[in-house]
Amino acid sequence: MVYITGVGLVNVDRHYDKSVRKLAFEASVAALDSSMAESIDFIVVASSLSYLQEPQLDLASYIASSMGLRGVRSIAVESGEASGLAAVMTAKSLVDSGLASRVLVVGVDKLSDHPSWRVYRNLSMLYDSESDAFYSIGLGGVAGLLMRLYMDVYKVDRQTLAYWPALMHSNAKANPYAMLRFAITPEKVLEAPPVAEPLTLLDTFPLGDGAAAIVVEGRAGGGAIAEIVAVESSTGFQSIALSDDPLKIESLETAYRRLVERVDVKDVDVVELHDSFTITGILELETLRLAERGKAAEAVAQGNFSIGGEGPVVNPSGGLKARGHPIGATGVYQVAEIALQLSGEFPGLRVEGARGGLAVAVNAMGSSSYVAYLKAVR
Amino acid sequence: MDWWSPARVWRSRVYRYRLIAGRCKSCGRAHYPPANACPYCGSRGLDNVELPRVGRILSYSIVYTTPFEDKDKSPVILGLIDLGVTRLVAEIVDVKPEDVKMGDRVEAVFRRISVDGGTGLIVYGIKFRPVRMG
Repeated sequence: MVYITGVGLVNVDRHYDKSVRKLAFEASVAALDSSMAESIDFIVVASSLSYLQEPQLDLASYIASSMGLRGVRSIAVESGEASGLAAVMTAKSLVDSGLASRVLVVGVDKLSDHPSWRVYRNLSMLYDSESDAFYSIGLGGVAGLLMRLYMDVYKVDRQTLAYWPALMHSNAKANPYAMLRFAITPEKVLEAPPVAEPLTLLDTFPLGDGAAAIVVEGRAGGGAIAEIVAVESSTGFQSIALSDDPLKIESLETAYRRLVERVDVKDVDVVELHDSFTITGILELETLRLAERGKAAEAVAQGNFSIGGEGPVVNPSGGLKARGHPIGATGVYQVAEIALQLSGEFPGLRVEGARGGLAVAVNAMGSSSYVAYLKAVR
Repeated sequence: MDWWSPARVWRSRVYRYRLIAGRCKSCGRAHYPPANACPYCGSRGLDNVELPRVGRILSYSIVYTTPFEDKDKSPVILGLIDLGVTRLVAEIVDVKPEDVKMGDRVEAVFRRISVDGGTGLIVYGIKFRPVRMG
């Protein structure tokens, strides 16, 4: 059994005054303080853009040193946008195997240190450098292709797809760690500047900095916030062009099937999924069978997945869209948020009595996917 | 900025310039760019096949968030192109964004992809343009 005993979050924002190491330090100290852990055996660092933008290699050991964790064991995990969940999986494996009894997982990335045109270039490297990213796919080019394909195949209009960002902004208002804490209407989404038509600026995540940390251990005593029951994953095609059915995220479908075959996934009352773009969130809802294919956007427009709506509550944090998406850190945010929902301590929109939750991470449009299942310990 | 590597660009010249795909001897499916094993069945028995140079737009996006070396050519039209035996993602050129339509026929053209100020490298590759009538 693997438990989360501490959680530390930094609000996602433009932290010009704080370095990658400083953000990682703040999240880690908060997590360690809340777990009352005296020492840790291992630090697992999740980051993606730092290798290109700091630039810094062997990031885990430099972050560990800067925190004064002299002689700690460290490892860095880089799996693009899925780095955070990959790091949680690594930490759980370390505890499961007995190599460590207490592990600090910290995810960190900065998206506001460089001009946006450079960040767009770096973000395009989340996609396959030998195929899609050979061209100027920018931020959201491939997502734009999928959104238009979705609208064409399922005869869904752009307006219906604008309810997702509106729901995310509405959810984020109460979350003190969210970057965009203001409401928007679906009309605003359509009026926003185009990013990769038919995607607009309000279909994408904001460029913000953040760090999130959790303390993971095998014996929780009375200090457990939630149990990490299992984390599963799968790789997918290198490009949507190779998939016969690009409107289904095959890697996520496989990861989720593996999860439900391995453990008894039940009472999922809350989900934090990876809505890097409106269309990514919609495709994930359908891939996880929370909505019928071609119907997720309509379901969202009708109020499903909101507090009091049909289905589990999805992204009460505000999701990548409004909480923000500090690439390598995002999965750690999600797991921390789910854990806090399950212990009834989430400081934002709360899913009362939540018993189980899923965190979902997808790199690019499915080059890899991870899904974590957490259970309440109350 | 020195983003492109001359060695890396040189290695890919044949399949990039001539649209050479991999084809699996076991399951028969084609994929682009050619990989070391079939992305569908995992077989390592592959040969090469030259892709058709005319295809159809399955979907497209008008991209404004272009990276630094392409700031001047924003917006870029990105297409998901169906070539029959396989599909690929590539830029669509020689057409105004408002004139692109789903299902349009496009043909491969040899074009400049990028000029790298740092290394002095000019990168070439295949883009697609609408097939002209008559």
